[in-house]
Amino acid sequence: MEYLRLAVKNLLRRKTRTLLTLVGIGVAIAVLYSLLEFQRGYERGLNAEINQLGAQIMVVPKGCPYEAATIVLHGGKWPRYMEESYFEKIIATPGVSQAAPILMDAMINPATHDNKIFLGITEAYGALRPAWQIDGAAFSGPAAREVILGTSIAEKLRLKPGDTFRLRQDAAGRAAGKDDADLTVVGVLARTRSQDDGFIFMPLHTLQTLFKLPGKIVVVLVRAENIDAPSLERTTQALRDLGGNMNIFPLSELLNNAAQLMQVTKVFVLAIVLVAIAIGAAGVLNTILMAVFERMQEIGMMKAIGASPADIFALIWTETVLLCAAGGLFGIGIAVTSARGIEWFLRRAMASQFSQLPETALIGVSPGVILLCIGLSVALGVLAGFYPAWRASAVKPIEAIRGAN
Amino acid sequence: MAEAAVDQTATPVAEASGLGKIYRRGAEEIHALREISVAFAPGAFSCVLGPSGAGKSTLLNLLGVMDVPTAGTLRVAGATIAEGGRLRLSEGGRDKLRRENIGFIFTEFFLLPTLTAVENVQLPLLWADKDDRAYAAELLERVGLGHRLTHRPTEMSGGEMQRVAIARALINRPRLLLADEPTGNVDTTTRDGIFDLFRELNADGLTIVLATHDRELAARMDRVVHVREGRVVEETA
Repeated sequence: MEYLRLAVKNLLRRKTRTLLTLVGIGVAIAVLYSLLEFQRGYERGLNAEINQLGAQIMVVPKGCPYEAATIVLHGGKWPRYMEESYFEKIIATPGVSQAAPILMDAMINPATHDNKIFLGITEAYGALRPAWQIDGAAFSGPAAREVILGTSIAEKLRLKPGDTFRLRQDAAGRAAGKDDADLTVVGVLARTRSQDDGFIFMPLHTLQTLFKLPGKIVVVLVRAENIDAPSLERTTQALRDLGGNMNIFPLSELLNNAAQLMQVTKVFVLAIVLVAIAIGAAGVLNTILMAVFERMQEIGMMKAIGASPADIFALIWTETVLLCAAGGLFGIGIAVTSARGIEWFLRRAMASQFSQLPETALIGVSPGVILLCIGLSVALGVLAGFYPAWRASAVKPIEAIRGAN
Repeated sequence: MAEAAVDQTATPVAEASGLGKIYRRGAEEIHALREISVAFAPGAFSCVLGPSGAGKSTLLNLLGVMDVPTAGTLRVAGATIAEGGRLRLSEGGRDKLRRENIGFIFTEFFLLPTLTAVENVQLPLLWADKDDRAYAAELLERVGLGHRLTHRPTEMSGGEMQRVAIARALINRPRLLLADEPTGNVDTTTRDGIFDLFRELNADGLTIVLATHDRELAARMDRVVHVREGRVVEETA
């Protein structure tokens, strides 16, 4: 017989009450775990997406840099263009190793809100994507009527290499005099688990022609020769010195800004979770205190047969900490097993704050977050159990046995 | 039935001199015990007899170091608990003394419902940082419950539960066994069985003091201390 076993048996005496308390703590910890994981997942996902861009600096025409960043990361229509000739200045800037000019456009079906995102790229884009695996071939020329499809869009359109991709302009496109065209699918990308999976790629000049945007590009992704902070800063400054009414910012800045935005949301949500945890703690305190009052005579008996106040304190404290730790583990279990559902809910709930969230899974299993949640659960038990344990330890055996309490 | 040899010249296991206990309820003082002087020699098989409210349980609680006197001197198992009404042993010291030297049996058995018989018997060992399941099983065998080791209190009769409580009181090999109305919740047949068990334990040298208002039971004890209104009014052997 040991303390732990006795404590477990005592908790199991009132199974329903113990279970309800455990569920209360579990839910609070599950929410906490999910939010912390969501934030980590968001940062991780954003970081991965930025790394997958293969560039450290982004050059876009003046405008909201965050909107531009979102367009670059997730695709879309952004009606601010720079002249392709500006790209030549960028590639010639000291500190720049590689640069890829990109034109982006999108066709949106207003009925289904279905987006088709087009990227006009050059060979330089492929250099930023060394991990790309193409089922099929690369473009045969800089103005070829060809497309390479991301794996998701290929599956959606049921197209494979050799098929014809029929570009039919939407109403806005036709109004602007843009052309319809039939393009050959020369390749389909192997799944990248990035934004590329949803894009339709074609040679830059082809897109410029079909969308009536000759000589225009939207963004230039820049890979620096040296990526240490001072070198990156120098290269960024050199690009800014080019002038031309451009926004030039390192992508790490984008990550920091996004993390800050997430931090503000996190603080707010954490405050709510902490209130939930405080309510959980009050529930635990109430449960254990009730159990102590119910077991007064028994506690008196324990003292009569030799238990010291410290022994009784330790027993009740152990019960509380066990209950809370079990609640914490239960909560982590809920969060991990229902991560997809929670993530779906959070993505919807946060849609207004974050126009685009990384596509990778945001709630996963992180030992650090698990340990933090378990630690918090145990701390909750330590705090909530103190008063009931003290009350129990202060019981006078004679009075308790007589039922005077 | 064999009786233990009682050495009246040996140092008593428990000894009270001028012992008093006053309870205060607001401004009111209740004299539960007055000027009690009594000693229990090693191996004694004694009984404190008296009607309800006479002070039997209070005396047993003081002898069991579960309560402290407000007057007089009390020595138990070689330790001075109080002298001239002043406490001489700390709460921790009293806990240790109780744990190591005294076994206590209550009218209500106070067995933990979630523990088996053998686990209930082992319970006091938890506070002594020991674990001796074999000895707990041996004690249950001795009280006639060798076949009920893994049964829970809810699966036992009143007599069986009291036997488990007796085994629990013996687990720390006490020098003094105190029992407050131990047969108060059982029928007469069971009562006699429990009494025989006490007699056997006493025959092995254990000092036993029972509190009861059952005159028939008291008549079978070696020594009876009659208590009334908080005073010892008579002693018979």
